[in-house]
Amino acid sequence: MHDVRFAGEDILARQLELAEANYQRLHEKRIRSISVMGAIGSGKTTLIEQAIDRLRRQGLRVGTIAADSAGDDDHRRFLERGAVSVNVNTQDDCHLDAHTVHHALDHLPLEAMDVLFVENVGNLICPADFPLGTDVEIVVISVTEGDDMVRKHPKIFAQTDFVAVNKVDLAAAVGVNPQRIVDDYARVNPHGKVILTSLRSGEGIDALLDLLGLRCTSTQW
Amino acid sequence: MHEYSVVDALISAVLPRLTEHPGRVKTLVLKKGELRILSDRALGNAFEILSHGTRLAGAQLVVEVVPTVVACPACGYRGAAGRLGEADDHFSIPVLACPECTAPVDVVAGRELYVDHVTLSDEPLTDA
Repeated sequence: MHDVRFAGEDILARQLELAEANYQRLHEKRIRSISVMGAIGSGKTTLIEQAIDRLRRQGLRVGTIAADSAGDDDHRRFLERGAVSVNVNTQDDCHLDAHTVHHALDHLPLEAMDVLFVENVGNLICPADFPLGTDVEIVVISVTEGDDMVRKHPKIFAQTDFVAVNKVDLAAAVGVNPQRIVDDYARVNPHGKVILTSLRSGEGIDALLDLLGLRCTSTQW
Repeated sequence: MHEYSVVDALISAVLPRLTEHPGRVKTLVLKKGELRILSDRALGNAFEILSHGTRLAGAQLVVEVVPTVVACPACGYRGAAGRLGEADDHFSIPVLACPECTAPVDVVAGRELYVDHVTLSDEPLTDA
């Protein structure tokens, strides 16, 4: 028997390098970037739609990367709101990775953008292990997923700095107390920031944009 | 099931390193930071399937968990992360706040994912 020892290079080192390259590239263009993650139907697309409306009213130019396994529904929704957008189909992959975002950025007019939203594939778990190189990451939870979401996935929320608890207007109808989600999140992540939202009506979006550092009228972020 | 893409990257990284080392691969020891959202069982299943037809086929994937170590910029603490849940609870999780002063911390260890070593037997390969 003999051992071959390895130098300890991270298996996903290439992905981490590309995430860093994406980060640098976006910073050089002074683009504030937000990665949006969450389960299917949590409200990721609606969050971005509402953000596009508000940011455009402030005179900011918004770009989006819309990722889905298949189709271009979200991409078209973003275009209709006046964003520039690139559609990414991950096919059988359950998450975006930094490499895919790297190529997607080639198809966006970065010189004419102030803000970038990256909508990940509808999946809570897999995207958490793949940094994309954005400034911030936010996870959207819908109350319809149950008030045990954080307790069931504590490791993810322990590492998530921003959470939107969405569809709070439906909380009573599905017998969920949103405060339980907030309290659970505070326990696993004492420094995490959480906002209660009802994104279809726009409730909470202004507070959320504030939290994400997007309410400044200049682009000096 | 992102374990498959992780194991695919793992196998691609390991195989070229083994070309100059003859012998049957017995075990591959993977170090996994505990903050990684990767299931050991899914990693094992993915390894069994994706190693098929390579020199790693039949080898055992051993996953060793690296505990979380944090450093506090506020008070200078450096050491084990505080934990939520009982200390002897298998499912307790690290909390990324300083156990001494509660300030936000930097993660020093707990997010890594790397191959530590591969053990080969010195017996010659009998089948291809």
